Formats: sequence, structure tokens, C-alpha cells
Amino acid sequence: MIHLYNVCKNYQKDAASALHNLNFKIAKGDFVYITGPSGAGKSTLLKLLYCAEKPSRGQILVNGKNITRMGSSHIPQLRRHTGIVFQDFKLLDNRTLFENVAFPLEVQGKKRFEISNKVYQALKHVGLHGKLQKYPLQLSGGEQQRVAIARALVVDPLILLADEPTGNLDLEVTLEIIELFKKANARGTTVLLATHDQEMIRRFPRRVIALENGQLVNDSAP
Amino acid sequence: MLDQLIYLFRRVFRNIRQSPVLCSAAVGTVAVALTILAFFSLIVINIQSLAAHWSEEIQIVAYLEREPSPARLKQWRDGIEAMPEVAAVRYVNQQEALRRFKSRLGSDSDLLEGFGAEILPASLEISLREQYRNRESAETVVGRLRQNPELAEFNYGQDWLERFEAFLELLRFGAVVLGFFLLFAALFIVANTIKLTLYARRDELEIMALVGATPWFIKVPFLLEGALQGALGAFLALGGSLALFQFFLRQGLVALLSVTGGDQIVFLDWQQQLLLIGTGILLGLVGSVLSLRKFVRI
Ligand SMILES: Nc1ncnc2c1ncn2[C@@H]1O[C@H](COP(=O)(O)OP(=O)(O)OP(=O)(O)O)[C@@H](O)[C@H]1O
Ligand SMILES: [Mg+2]
Repeated sequence: MIHLYNVCKNYQKDAASALHNLNFKIAKGDFVYITGPSGAGKSTLLKLLYCAEKPSRGQILVNGKNITRMGSSHIPQLRRHTGIVFQDFKLLDNRTLFENVAFPLEVQGKKRFEISNKVYQALKHVGLHGKLQKYPLQLSGGEQQRVAIARALVVDPLILLADEPTGNLDLEVTLEIIELFKKANARGTTVLLATHDQEMIRRFPRRVIALENGQLVNDSAP
Repeated sequence: MLDQLIYLFRRVFRNIRQSPVLCSAAVGTVAVALTILAFFSLIVINIQSLAAHWSEEIQIVAYLEREPSPARLKQWRDGIEAMPEVAAVRYVNQQEALRRFKSRLGSDSDLLEGFGAEILPASLEISLREQYRNRESAETVVGRLRQNPELAEFNYGQDWLERFEAFLELLRFGAVVLGFFLLFAALFIVANTIKLTLYARRDELEIMALVGATPWFIKVPFLLEGALQGALGAFLALGGSLALFQFFLRQGLVALLSVTGGDQIVFLDWQQQLLLIGTGILLGLVGSVLSLRKFVRI
């Protein structure tokens, strides 16, 4: 599903590289943690995968497509099959939960009744179907992240990218969130989760790709 | 298709509802700039049409030493009418010259009490074909007429009209320069207001791009909003300049150009009104294109 060949990323010409010579494969349906200390390059790696940044060197294949050779007009298409979740949720505060989750479907030009159906199902999956007309700021942090996850999953993505999704949340809520990622993974979505939360990895052991200073230092499955 | 159109307009109106102040600022800028523009255009257009009207009246008047016999008159007329420049020849005898003079004096016509028709000369009024209504052609014709010694004096000058047209040229040039300056200033302000609205909505733009919106999908509502603001501003400018025209400019121009009655002073015709609205729309569109270029990158 995801395949990296000798991927390097330098943000500035002569700065230290944020990623250095990465090679790995992630199969369809995998659940993979990306770990490493702050500044290791976790976010950079995810950005390359949703084309917010381009690698300085190397090739990246996603679902059989070489996204490093792809023109920028194909980026939207790639992102429609990719769900993205951030530490700071990135919800629109002036829109209801329903409107927030409907957003990716509207962008894709889906029909109205199809949108309402899917949005309701997605919010039901994360247990928030009772709060369709609430606004994000009326919710707790954990609930907001669940909305963000519903928004990422509403399009039935092939890949789910999460950049420290539980960074702002306490342990109890973290466990709920992880449960959601596992459910999505069970339905066939490939999940990449960047975190430095060792507790989480200990409780739900999965394959771990560890980075340090932009280099792959460990790649181990339980 | 209809669904998408409705969705598009919902997005546009949501944007406008979310930043009404910025939106009105953009509309107001367009309105003010275009009102000033329309105001000066009206002045130029009216002076110009009046000047055109005056130059239509260019004709040669040949004054006669004495009234000719009908036979000679016919001979002269035929000769003059045969000239390629000449449209028509009209004979004004002394009686008629006096009658005209009296009517021009109006209530002061009793000044002429006791004078006979002989105080005014008879004349031939020679009007020129349209393409010859200028100074050179008039001079050519007069040159030929001078060979007849009985035609004593000619009047075709309209010197002042030519000077006036030079002045008009200057006025037109000034209006064009001012217009460009105004449009640029308006464009700058509109682009910056739209940039502010984009800045206020940068989260939304970012998320749209992240969930796979194409650049066009992101941009179109903003372009539409810009065009709408431009159109609205142009309509306000149209109303504003019509009000200025009715209550102020018409009387001013009547006084300045000393025309009788206000009928010759006109407002913008419908093509010019369309042009004004088109300019407003273009202003809003270009303004949004300029600011979107910096904001929407994928
Ligand atoms: N936009 C940028 N411009 C320049 N340098 C950057 C940029 N983004 C990240 N970097 C640098 O790249 C390196 C990797 O950063 P990255 O954000 O990928 O780390 P991270 O593993 O996500 O860290 P954290 O756990 O703190 O989020 C860092 O040295 C950082 O300074
Ligand atoms: Mg990071």
C-alpha cells in the first residue's frame, strides 16, 4: 500500500535533513506506529504521504502510484482516499458537527441524501450521533477528536494518517480514540499513527517504525 | 448540476454573512471609485456631444455687395452646388436677414425701429457635406468663391471651435488618466479586502485542501463573491451618479455650456451603463484572482 525508496527530505538546502534515506513497505490493512523523539521527522513523514511536502530525493508509492512523479493536479484525488487526523483537531468552529463531518463529502460533490446518511453513520461510529447540531467548542477535547476522526473516516479512506491524535488527551480518552482506530483498521483501512506515547504502544502492540534524527532506527512487529 | 449550483451559492452567501464588514468595504470602494469615474465621464461626454453638435453647424456664409438678379443668383447657385464639398445653398435676402436679426434681438427689437432692410447685406449660406465639415475644406471652397468679385465677405472661421476641441482633447486625456488611477486604487483596495476575508478563513481553506478539494472548487466561490461585490458596487455607483446628475451636474453643465433647457445634457446611455457594471465586475474578479493566487496553494 505504501512503499518508500531512499526517501530524503531537506527543508532548507544546507540544513540537516529532516528525513534521511528511508526505506520501508507498509502492506494494505496494516496498523503501524511511527515513533521517535521530538524533531525526529514523524510529522514530516506523514506530510510526504499526503503531499503537503515533496521529498528532496527518493520515490514514494501509494496504492501503486508514484506520488513523487505525480502532477499537483492529482493531489486532491490522492487526498480523497486519505483520512488525516491532527493533534489540534482542525475542526471549523463556526460549523456544526454535522457540517464538519459533511465537509469532505461536499468537496467531492456527493449528493445531499448520500451525505446525510454517511455523516450520520460516521458520527454514530464515534458515538456522537446525538450531537449533530452542536458546535465543536461545545464539546470536550476527546469528543472533538472523535469528530475529527469521523470526518477522516466518512470518505472510507484507504489510508488513515494520524499525527499525535492523542497528544492533548488524557489516558482514558486516549484509549477510546485508539479503539476507533482499531475499528477502522478492522474494516480494512491502513493506519499510520505518529506518537511518542509509549504507554499506548505497550497496551496495543503493533508494528513500530522508530525514527531518530530523520533516520530509521528500528522497525519491529510484536 | 443544479445541486452544485445551489451549494456554490450557499457557500458564497455563507462567506458574505461571515464577514459583512469586509464585504461592505469592498462594495463601498468599488462604488466610490466608479461614482467618481462616472461623474467625470458624464462631464466629458456631455461637453463632447455638444461640441460635435456645434461642429455640425459649420457653414460658410458669403455676404453679397448687393442683391443679385434672379438669373445671376441661379447661375451662382448652380455653380456652388456643383462643388463636391457643398451639400446645399440657401439664399437669404435683405428682408429675411432683417427679420432674423429682429427675432434674435427679441424684446429689444424696437431698437431697429426706423431702419430699412438695406442696413443688412444679403447672403448665401453654404452648408457642407458631412465629411467636409472642417476648416481646410471650408477654405478650399472659399478660395474658389473669392474669384467672384461680387461676394464681398466670408464668414466660416469657427476658430474658437478648434481651440475648444483642443481643450476637449486635454479634458479627455485628464479623465482617462484619472480613471486609470482610480481603477488601480480601487483594485488595490478590493484585492486587499478580499485578502483579509481569505485570511479570516484560512482554516477553512486549509481543511478544504486537506480533504481533497480541487483549487477551482476552493476558488470559485471567492471569485463569485468578488464579482458580486463588484456588480453591487457598480449598481450603487450607477445610482449615486444618477443622483449627482439629477440634483447637481445637470444644472452645472447647463450653466457652464449655456445651453437652453436641460434636454441636451444626457446621462450615460445603456451601453455605457453596462460598461460601468462590467468594469465593477471585472474589478471584483481581478481583485479576488490577485489575492487568491497567494492564498490557495496545494
Ligand atoms: N516547515 C519546516 N521548515 C523547516 N524545517 C522544518 C519544517 N518542519 C519541520 N522542520 C524540521 O524538520 C525536523 C523534523 O520535524 P518534524 O516536525 O517532522 O518532527 P516530529 O518528529 O514531528 O516532532 P514532534 O514530535 O515535535 O512533532 C525538525 O528538525 C524540524 O525543525
Ligand atoms: Mg510532529
